[in-house]
Amino acid sequence: MLSIKNLHASVEGKEILKGINLEIKAGEVHAIMGPNGSGKSTLSQVLAGNEAFEVTEGEVTLNGENLLELETEERAREGIFLAFQYPVEIPGVSNLQFLRTAVNAMRQHKGEGEMNAAEFMKLAKDVSKQVDLDPAFLKRGVNEGFSGGEKKRNEVMQALLLQPKLAILDETDSGLDIDALQVVSNGVNALRAEDRAILMVTHYQRLLNHIVPDYVHVLAGGRIVKSGGRELALELEERGYGWLGIKDEEAANSAN
Amino acid sequence: MKSAPTLSAAFLHPAGQSLPEPLLALRKQRGTALVDMPLPTRKTENWKYSSKYLKLTDEIAISLPADRKSGSSLAVPGYKVVFLNGVMMPEASEYPDLSGITIERFSDLDDDTATTLAERMDSTLDNNAVQMARLNSARFEDGLLIRLAADAVLEQPLFIVHEVTADASGSAYPRIFVEAGRNSQITLVEEYISSGSESVMVNTVTELALADGANVTSIRLNTEGENVQHIGATGVRQQRSSRFESHCVGFGGPLRRHDLQVRLEGEGAECKLNGVVVTQGKQHYDNHTTIEHVAAHCNSEETYRNIAADQSHAVFNGRIHIHQDAQKSNADMNNKNLLLSNGAEIDTKPELEIYADDVKCAHGATIGQLDEVSLFYLVSRGIGRREANVLLTMAFINELVEQIPVAQVRETAQARLNQFFDQTFEGA
Repeated sequence: MLSIKNLHASVEGKEILKGINLEIKAGEVHAIMGPNGSGKSTLSQVLAGNEAFEVTEGEVTLNGENLLELETEERAREGIFLAFQYPVEIPGVSNLQFLRTAVNAMRQHKGEGEMNAAEFMKLAKDVSKQVDLDPAFLKRGVNEGFSGGEKKRNEVMQALLLQPKLAILDETDSGLDIDALQVVSNGVNALRAEDRAILMVTHYQRLLNHIVPDYVHVLAGGRIVKSGGRELALELEERGYGWLGIKDEEAANSAN
Repeated sequence: MKSAPTLSAAFLHPAGQSLPEPLLALRKQRGTALVDMPLPTRKTENWKYSSKYLKLTDEIAISLPADRKSGSSLAVPGYKVVFLNGVMMPEASEYPDLSGITIERFSDLDDDTATTLAERMDSTLDNNAVQMARLNSARFEDGLLIRLAADAVLEQPLFIVHEVTADASGSAYPRIFVEAGRNSQITLVEEYISSGSESVMVNTVTELALADGANVTSIRLNTEGENVQHIGATGVRQQRSSRFESHCVGFGGPLRRHDLQVRLEGEGAECKLNGVVVTQGKQHYDNHTTIEHVAAHCNSEETYRNIAADQSHAVFNGRIHIHQDAQKSNADMNNKNLLLSNGAEIDTKPELEIYADDVKCAHGATIGQLDEVSLFYLVSRGIGRREANVLLTMAFINELVEQIPVAQVRETAQARLNQFFDQTFEGA
């Protein structure tokens, strides 16, 4: 489904990704782990099409189509979904309006008719229950005044509404208490399907207890330095990154 | 040294001699006072950002003809008074006989009423601050006097449609005076529209006197053409426990200027002033507001938003003056501005003058652009660029548009906003 070959990317002239290679097939769940500053979030943003990052080399294809030539919104319509690490607050745009506009943009792309307000309201209420969000939040501004956990649940809710081919979850577990983690994980597990792939980016192993990956990759210094099954995550939990010859850049920086 | 430009004598010849004698006398006296009046320049503080847009040619000085019988075809849900080229047109106006409410044109006033009106005209405005609107007092023709008796309530909005027909150059001087009696209630909608393409000026003054407990909502919508210079002033005086609410929605033009002056003269009076301005191309819009807290225990709340695209220019100047005796005043002024292009300019200036020591007075002004991160968030959900830009721009003013209490005005404003979005975000 997703094929990444020798991907290099920079931000403000500084190279962050230094040759990523990754193949993800439909139905698979991949986890990318790594220390801070290793390039995990950059990879997510580059795949979603954030123009702040410049791809300098390599190729990315989604079902054979060159992803890098597509605008952000076109990638989304082709089935890329990024759950943001830091979802944006947009006062003045209601969640309902935002979600309905997004769902209808997707439907239009697929040649389906738009959903009217009443149809959409019913769908949105059903899905919000799935992630344990009070439907009253639909009337509020996008992520406005949401707690960290509510924001993450809203991201998963969007994935459930938009039904992407590839869902990229960027640190979707960060800042969640154990109950919220359970809710979010249930939502993500509900996304698992034979025709869908999931790419989880995470710093910690604990999310992987709830969403069991098929493959685990270790990203360090802008490259994937080790890949394995889910047992790799457990090993990382136990031994840290040191045994792979990686120093945590954050730890290194704070030591300086 | 080059002498400062003065008002051309061509502007001092009013049309329409059918007014009652006291009004003719007032007009003449105001005209005399304007002889050799210096025109604002960029050194004139309250016209600093706008004087260069003012184009007063002698062709514009001529009164536009008001002989068309038909008047505006604009359909409105409510009562309607039509001004054509500054002159009230009874034939085109539609309103029933309403108990406690008189709606009269100046030429129909009896002598006593005209004398009283002449005494009160200009009393709501600080004439030094609205120098260009003073021209209206020297030029007004058949205007409108609305009087609400005590406890009179107008159930439907009264639309006042100001239409100018710019088939030739000239100017129009609509004039309105509203006397809202004790505990009376009215919603006025002033809509400014135009047809034709010659260069014209609308110079308009609306005055409102609110007695104790009166409740007046004033809505103002400017959608005139690119050939229309608009200079307007609204003066409001509020007595005890009265409430005034203003909603101004303005689209830019070659010159758009509105001075809104509110005097809170009776204890417990309150006002709420909302404004939305949208400019594009090389358009201009300048809002100057003044709130005078004269009496104690008064509240004022002011929220203005400007959006400027292309090479356009918007100005907001908000003055709050809290007098020495106005203890326990509560004043809140907020102005936010959105620049949609690098070539656009917005100037904002809050002015606070406070002489009482026990008051709450807050003000804030910001200027920014659409947030790139928010934009990325929206398009990453498959929402198109144009739609995402529109959502974020509407988010900036939604709250104010939704507060406009007359649905038709919201719809007209939204339709104009959609045109603006089509032009501003095309190709996005």
